[in-house]
Amino acid sequence: MVFVPALTKSASAGESAVGNGSALTDALQIGEITGLGDRQVTIKTKFEKSAKTYTLHLLPECYVMTAKRADFKKFSELKKGDLIAAYGWYKDGKWNARRIDILDTNDYLVKRLDMDAKAGVYFKHEQY
Amino acid sequence: MKKAFALSLATLVALVSFAVSASAKTTVLTPFDKRDWHVIAPQDSDAPLRDYAILYDAGGVDGALGVIGIPSMRTYRHIKCGVDLHNFPFSGSNAGNNNGTPDGKYLYVSDKGSDTIAEVNLQTGWPERIFALPKPFGIHHSAALSPNGKYLWATGELTGKMLKLRLSDGATTVIDVPPAPSAPDYPDTGRAGNYVFSGNYYHSTVMVFQQDPFKLVKEIPVGKNPHGTNVNPTNRIVSVCDKLSATLSLIDVQQLRVRKVIPVGAGPLHNQWDTLGKYDYLSCFVSDSTSKIDGIRGQLVDEFPIHYRVGHNSIAPDNAYYCSQNKFSTGLFTPTGIVFAVNFELQDIDETSPTYGKSVKLIPVDGEPHEGRMIFANYIQRWNTGKGAELFTKGYDLGDVHISFDKGPGLAKVRPQLEPKHADNTSKVWIPRDDGKPGITKEGDVYVVRIKAFSYGYVPRFIHVPKGAKVRMILTNIDKAAGLTKNPDVTMGLAVYGYYGMRTMLISPRGISQVAEFVADKAGEYEFYCQHFCGPLHLEMRGTFFVDPPGGQASLANGDYDSVSMQEQLLDESESEFIVGTNKLMNTLKEGNEPTI
Repeated sequence: MVFVPALTKSASAGESAVGNGSALTDALQIGEITGLGDRQVTIKTKFEKSAKTYTLHLLPECYVMTAKRADFKKFSELKKGDLIAAYGWYKDGKWNARRIDILDTNDYLVKRLDMDAKAGVYFKHEQY
Repeated sequence: MKKAFALSLATLVALVSFAVSASAKTTVLTPFDKRDWHVIAPQDSDAPLRDYAILYDAGGVDGALGVIGIPSMRTYRHIKCGVDLHNFPFSGSNAGNNNGTPDGKYLYVSDKGSDTIAEVNLQTGWPERIFALPKPFGIHHSAALSPNGKYLWATGELTGKMLKLRLSDGATTVIDVPPAPSAPDYPDTGRAGNYVFSGNYYHSTVMVFQQDPFKLVKEIPVGKNPHGTNVNPTNRIVSVCDKLSATLSLIDVQQLRVRKVIPVGAGPLHNQWDTLGKYDYLSCFVSDSTSKIDGIRGQLVDEFPIHYRVGHNSIAPDNAYYCSQNKFSTGLFTPTGIVFAVNFELQDIDETSPTYGKSVKLIPVDGEPHEGRMIFANYIQRWNTGKGAELFTKGYDLGDVHISFDKGPGLAKVRPQLEPKHADNTSKVWIPRDDGKPGITKEGDVYVVRIKAFSYGYVPRFIHVPKGAKVRMILTNIDKAAGLTKNPDVTMGLAVYGYYGMRTMLISPRGISQVAEFVADKAGEYEFYCQHFCGPLHLEMRGTFFVDPPGGQASLANGDYDSVSMQEQLLDESESEFIVGTNKLMNTLKEGNEPTI
């Protein structure tokens, strides 16, 4: 079953999402793939205080590539457990993906986000 | 003993030879992360001269785009586009950081000198269309693309206007940004299709516009004289370089208010977010450094020195490198003429690299480059291997997504190659320093306009000539190379934007004056500006060239603007009548609005 969380009260009320963890209205989501459908990807977010689950709907023009060196992939090459960064936007009740990057867990930024989260500095929990 | 050694050596050689001949039957590619740093692109051969990314830079006074390999920093070529190029987005989507989500088809570069936007086909490597903008406008930047890639926003710095342009047909909507003086600066678009953000240099605010319908909704006070304005990839924060406050203002996108102000290096000009929205890198002109901001902590976390006087900057699409685009090369390089080369400095920003924070390459660069953006090299197809016809008619694939160029009936097989003629029909000469008094004198039927340029201004700032006047404009650099910059190689410039852009574009190093001659045959009020970066208050170098119509004084409401807007600035009118495809300047005197995403 695909679970799409409703907009958080703070986001729909126009209050800031800064510091509150990830929101459906964010234009970038980072997470591990937990489910794959017909050009749909379900992810569990990473590096934040409480992981959330989002379903991403790939637009027809959304391509998939590796974040390093842009090795272009087919959608069918995505697999559960892949760590991805998805770029897109929320509209009409769904999150539209425009680009999927398969992240390299050895990349310095991924390591930094991981290290920071373990130290209590969580992604999308801006400290200001 | 010696005999035994020789025997075993022969045996070893034979074994190695066998091993080599056996392994030579298959081609094994070295994994890209195991190769020499110069050989890292996962291509279909182990060619040692490949770069994994390409830096395009809007080459400023060159009127050309520079195409530079990353990480080799080799200049591959230049693409002629116009008069004075400033900045651009790649086509595709604005999703992500400043490099966006390219589809590899086009980029759209603003030409401040000619007041146009050139569409450059990245696959053919030539300009394909040029959008003229409704006058008076005075474009500075065209950095902002809508998420769906169908619209572009541009700032009319020289008239206080903002513009939304529909890329399919060039239709525009222009709105005023009062009160004067108003100078819309760098724009960026919200990643969710809601807003456009643009610094207002004179108001010391960030203006917030709704994307659709296009209108001003708010001005947010920030530090003094905001310049680089960028939305981060999460669409939560807009980071604004407050140039004269030496701070970075972080604006909350949902609340539309400043959430935090961070002290940074002196003279912050531009900023680049990495693709995950973790770090933001700032070019700091006065402190000669790159400031690194942690976007989660909201703190300055590192600072890298650069050679000298950085202006713009760019970041590699995999966040491994950062390019500091420096404005002066004092003490470097071999002289090659009147105008000295500037330089680009590549810095390693991979925190796990042994050269993290260090400059790994520094190259001379011609022109005076502004915006730079990088794209992975394998977006650009290989046209020279017999696939040309297929690429023309069918396009190419990015994974399982097909990219085609079909723009309409009959156009799929047409890829124009526009050759801008911006340098033709202009008359300019160099002379030794002219010490005549500044102002206008009449010599016969010629209006001689002497303008002195210094850090930071012109004398005179306001120039009136009657419509139809023969004008001889003489620019002289009287800068003492004092003050904050102390650059002995300060070059001053003067360009009258738009119709007179290609006729002026004067350049004056110290000791040399330049003269342009032209007929002022189009009435109107046209701003002029310094197109050669000369110091931290370079943007303050502005004045106005009035071509007064008979019986009145030119103003933004009184001039031959309709006629100038219809002028095809870079092509002869007669040529445009028969050129096929889309190789025509767009008539943009129409409006078009439809939902942006």
